[in-house]
Amino acid sequence: MKVALAQISPHLGDLEKNLDLHLGTIEKARRKKAGLVIFPELSLTGYTLMDLVPEVALEPARHPVFRKLAAASRSIDLVLGFVEERGKGLFYNSAAYLSGGRIIHIHRKAFLPTGGMFEEAKFFAPGRNFRTFTTSFGKAGLMVCRDFLSYGAGYLLFAGGADLIIVISAAPGRGMTARNAFATSRMWELMGEAISYFSTAFVVYCNRVGFEDGKAFAGGSFIFGPSGRRLVKAPEAEEDLVLADLRLEDIRAARKRWTFLRDDRPEVILRSLQRIVRDHED
Amino acid sequence: MKINAPFAEKVLCAFIREELHKFGFRKGIIGLSGGLDSSVCAALAARALGRKNVLGMILPYKDTYGKDVEDARGLARKLGIRTRLLDISPMVDAYFSRCPTEDQVRIGNKMARERMSILYDHSVLEKALILGTSNKTELLIGYGTIHGDMACAINPLGDLYKSQVRALGAHLRLPARILKKTPTAGLWPGQTDEDEIGISYSEIDAILYELIDERRPAKEVMASGFKREAVEKIEALVVSSEFKRKMPPIAKISARTVGHDFLYSYDRNR
Repeated sequence: MKVALAQISPHLGDLEKNLDLHLGTIEKARRKKAGLVIFPELSLTGYTLMDLVPEVALEPARHPVFRKLAAASRSIDLVLGFVEERGKGLFYNSAAYLSGGRIIHIHRKAFLPTGGMFEEAKFFAPGRNFRTFTTSFGKAGLMVCRDFLSYGAGYLLFAGGADLIIVISAAPGRGMTARNAFATSRMWELMGEAISYFSTAFVVYCNRVGFEDGKAFAGGSFIFGPSGRRLVKAPEAEEDLVLADLRLEDIRAARKRWTFLRDDRPEVILRSLQRIVRDHED
Repeated sequence: MKINAPFAEKVLCAFIREELHKFGFRKGIIGLSGGLDSSVCAALAARALGRKNVLGMILPYKDTYGKDVEDARGLARKLGIRTRLLDISPMVDAYFSRCPTEDQVRIGNKMARERMSILYDHSVLEKALILGTSNKTELLIGYGTIHGDMACAINPLGDLYKSQVRALGAHLRLPARILKKTPTAGLWPGQTDEDEIGISYSEIDAILYELIDERRPAKEVMASGFKREAVEKIEALVVSSEFKRKMPPIAKISARTVGHDFLYSYDRNR
């Protein structure tokens, strides 16, 4: 299975330009024989939207932009980010998986970073679910950016039997070090390595690049194999289309070696969580 | 505090290129003082935009800063960028002949704003955006003239402390004379920031790094070995210069107000 990570720089607030950027990139990935192309968080709209949120929000089931993307998904699977409107006036920072001409899954970002340079909860409603779904490559799960930094969320996709954990991101680079990368890039890779190793699944992370209001999005997209080995890493802070071959049989090989999935006890976790939630005191 | 200079160069060049191109500009314009910050900014701009797309404006007051003008010209030659030299003394003197003063701060501020006014005029003339050169140290302690040298379209250096700008300058192979220069606001000849504040720049940067980047309380910073007076002085400068880092407050009386809850990004629809 060949995966393409589209490390792009979307145009802030311009759906039409971004649709063209998507269709062009999809075509490039298709020509390189990729079976799945992944775009970053809010790839159809740009990230620093603030009061633009309602202006770029769409209902995917009936929007012409999604009709065109769905048509493109007849020849290659797609993951992309957009502002989803539900129930007239509820806006979500969402990720969609499209395949065979239709949307097969939508994940709504549950952990909305709000604090410091982030203010997502001012503009978005939080999602409430982490579910796996079936693709032609196996069971997959989606996360959006900050979701991935919650190891509880990673556990839910693992417990749901994910073979492929797909994370789309718009993570700004922060902190200079002596390394040839932003300090924060290490944090994402650390989680990628840990989650891929302990969930015996592929972890695919696609981050955007470009600048919005001076923030540099860090890029550095990567894929880890199911035994924690890094398969590919895109450069920091520059556009790229990275391709990698994923040997799906590696999942089985990893699970023969490490029986984390077989040994999981979700009912114990659930019971403990119920107690923790019940006894929780502020 | 340590930076990877090649990585910083890559990010800052991308920033300069992308911000200008998003707004439909190819050219950048920089006030060249012959000092470290404007030299680093010019070197980055030349790499980001191509040397023909950078204009260095050398704006001395008479021949008060003779060597600095030579340094600015020498740097421009080395970088291969265009320059224009304009003596600002006729404009500044015309004003002070009507409002005479001996106050060097007033005179220095007027010069900084005269240069700003010329840069903005040339920005239109040249269809170029102004690249700011205020570094993080200056922005935090308020060592800049508001609407003067602080005025710009974009600022590539504003998140680098002075010592980090110097490290970047060394990586960019700036002339040794420029790398060794003593930081000055240039308000009057011979002025140096360090003399005025009474603390060395390396110490100012180290204290700011602890207070700002590490968010450590002043007491902890003092306990870790910095002099009490130095920490207190730096903290007071940061607090008292907050107004220079903000847009002026707008009295909110309507339902949706610029600067309060009319919330759009600078890069909206670009």
